[in-house]
Amino acid sequence: MPRHKWQKVLYKDQGVPDNYVDETFLGELKNKVTTYKLPYVILESGVVTQQISSICLFVVLFIYMEQDLLSPESLLYMNAALSLLGYVAYDSIDRGQDRKESGRSRWDDVKSTAIFVAFSYGLSPILKTLTDTISTDTIYAMTVFMLLGNLLFHDYVTTETRARRPVSLNASIFASVCLASRLPSTLHAFATVTVAMQLFALWPELRRKLKVHFPGTQIPLTVSSALAALCALISVSHVGAIIFILIHLAITFLVPVCLIRLQLFKNNIHGPWDEAVIQH
Amino acid sequence: MKHRICMVSDFFFPNTGGVESHIFQLSQCLLQRGHKVVVVTHSYGDRVGVRYMTNNLKVYYVPFVVFYNGCVFPTVFGTMALIRYILIREQITIVHGHSAFSTMAHEALIHARAMDLKTVFTDHSLFGFADISSILTNKLLSFTLADINHVICVSHTSKENTVLRACLQPDIVSVIPNAVDSTIFMPDLTRRNPNRIAIVVVSRLVYRKGMDLLAGVIPVICQRHSDVDFLIGGDGPKRIDIEEVRENYQLQDRVRMLGALPHGNVKEVLNEGDIFLNTSLTEAFCIAIVEAACCGLQVVSTRVGGVPEVLPERFILLAEPSVKSLVEALEVAIARQREGSQVPAQQVYDTMKGIYTWENVAKRTEKIYDGIMEMPVLSLAERLERYNKLGFIAGKFFIIVAVVDLLLYWFFEWWVPRKNIDIIPDSFPPQSTGTSTQHMHILQNSAGTKDAADTCKSESREGALYTRRLRPRVGRKGDR
Repeated sequence: MPRHKWQKVLYKDQGVPDNYVDETFLGELKNKVTTYKLPYVILESGVVTQQISSICLFVVLFIYMEQDLLSPESLLYMNAALSLLGYVAYDSIDRGQDRKESGRSRWDDVKSTAIFVAFSYGLSPILKTLTDTISTDTIYAMTVFMLLGNLLFHDYVTTETRARRPVSLNASIFASVCLASRLPSTLHAFATVTVAMQLFALWPELRRKLKVHFPGTQIPLTVSSALAALCALISVSHVGAIIFILIHLAITFLVPVCLIRLQLFKNNIHGPWDEAVIQH
Repeated sequence: MKHRICMVSDFFFPNTGGVESHIFQLSQCLLQRGHKVVVVTHSYGDRVGVRYMTNNLKVYYVPFVVFYNGCVFPTVFGTMALIRYILIREQITIVHGHSAFSTMAHEALIHARAMDLKTVFTDHSLFGFADISSILTNKLLSFTLADINHVICVSHTSKENTVLRACLQPDIVSVIPNAVDSTIFMPDLTRRNPNRIAIVVVSRLVYRKGMDLLAGVIPVICQRHSDVDFLIGGDGPKRIDIEEVRENYQLQDRVRMLGALPHGNVKEVLNEGDIFLNTSLTEAFCIAIVEAACCGLQVVSTRVGGVPEVLPERFILLAEPSVKSLVEALEVAIARQREGSQVPAQQVYDTMKGIYTWENVAKRTEKIYDGIMEMPVLSLAERLERYNKLGFIAGKFFIIVAVVDLLLYWFFEWWVPRKNIDIIPDSFPPQSTGTSTQHMHILQNSAGTKDAADTCKSESREGALYTRRLRPRVGRKGDR
């Protein structure tokens, strides 16, 4: 036995063999288990169901237009009104904090809106005929894949980073261009692309901001968007509505329970050998 | 007891880095202590065959295909024929593998077990447990180390890490720290500028070395102290980040970037500085801070891995891996430098020079070799039992690998019988007790010519190049 207390150092000969195992061996080992609480996970699953609801709404709007239940004009008016409402809400949520930081003036916003509207309106004949020659089955298959891609790559993380991953938005715009070719007029195509822009580019930004500044709005937001999507689906397909309900219930309750259960099997070993994480 | 040792690793000269110089220095010291040492590594470009280095250290550059990160393609069985041939030819009694990253080391250890040779493994790095690559590497490591005779780690933290990763008994793992050549790294105060304070960083400029921290520290320190300069040696992907900081804050005349340094120049760079800064995020041992301490610099380092074990507390200032904490530690060091209250360079050197020496490393390694020669050879049943414990599926898989390897060994015993393999006569029999200079003399007469003639087209023209002084360039190897 060493006369002095053994120290975990290399620079002195402590009179013990090289393979000496002290009682402090592995003393700094931590079995860190990061446990999520069930209510938290259920609450957070809302961001996924919200996105699913958006996608359902988008598809139903397309079906309405295809079946001539909804005219593109009324959709565009509705769009414009909602956009304006959302724009005001977006600024008032944080009292223009973001605007000050980013240094964008209202004139900038008007300009980009004008550019977007002008270009998509001007290009809508091209957008309409772009995928015209592709068979309808292929179009629907592609749309399904693209919307799934949108769901998969959507940035669910609520952080105030400026650079968003564009894959998800691109996929949804591509889906809208595909669908636009199945509609009768160029105004339909324009309406489809604009709706896609709203649902997949502007609406998630607003939701994200709401979540940061008013976390309490999450439950009503999730429920109302799910209900809206459900109502829309029922009017089109009962089977679709039932599947929608099942998926929502699974994502909100079943998957979080599974996650919590699987936590028990998670065994993460931490210690001084871990690569340090830079602290800010 | 004298041994015939075969060092196996993918990493050896002309490649440069910590593992490479460790093998070289350890082999040199073991040669001087009268053991026979050969090094087996894969070929580097046209460097194929047998070469001789300083003190006639024999190196086999085996023509295996390099696959990823300087390692050979893992075939497990493909290396059997050549490695068995070399081990028999050189009458090896101990196979010593280096580095968990090295495929060759793993494979040689498996083959050595099939041949009932004694095995030692040195682990040079730390691994996590969370990501997929470390899970796979750890599983493989637990296989190669399941029936190892002894494992060497470079620090206590590294030992804890290896024991956990490979599920080993802690008492077969020894801690033998790395060493520095204190005849090279010594203080030279004449090179310092007494009017300014220089902070030296010598490291590969990669994420794992904490270059993001360095990029945060530089502007803060430069703004607060107009008489502090930075001197950065090394190269790597993060060089851009540092240069960007230098541009943004207009510090071109205060932050000198030296690029990749030949190891021979590290000493000169260190001696130009007053404070050494290490920002690594993970480090098993960190030889750089020992070198800096030997040159009498104040050392400021992040508290990661084995770093806190390396230097006595009064020679090092430890900080958390954050810009704020590092700046605070540097402030202390700068204040001490101004007051002159730091430990005098010569005093640091005098303390450090006897601590980490290669002679010491060799002596302690030799003790391990002596110990394992007395250990009983595990029977095949015992070995398979150990593999079986490694996991429900993995265990069975490892058993199959080990058995196939054994069958392959028996096949080669029939195909290329031992009696047909030329045995290299011991140039200085392991029993001899001469001094090292005598060995040198014998070597020059016998082995140098005889051995070279009968093996490959080998020559020792490169040998002279690798004097003990020439050691690796910093900042040239991949981020392993």
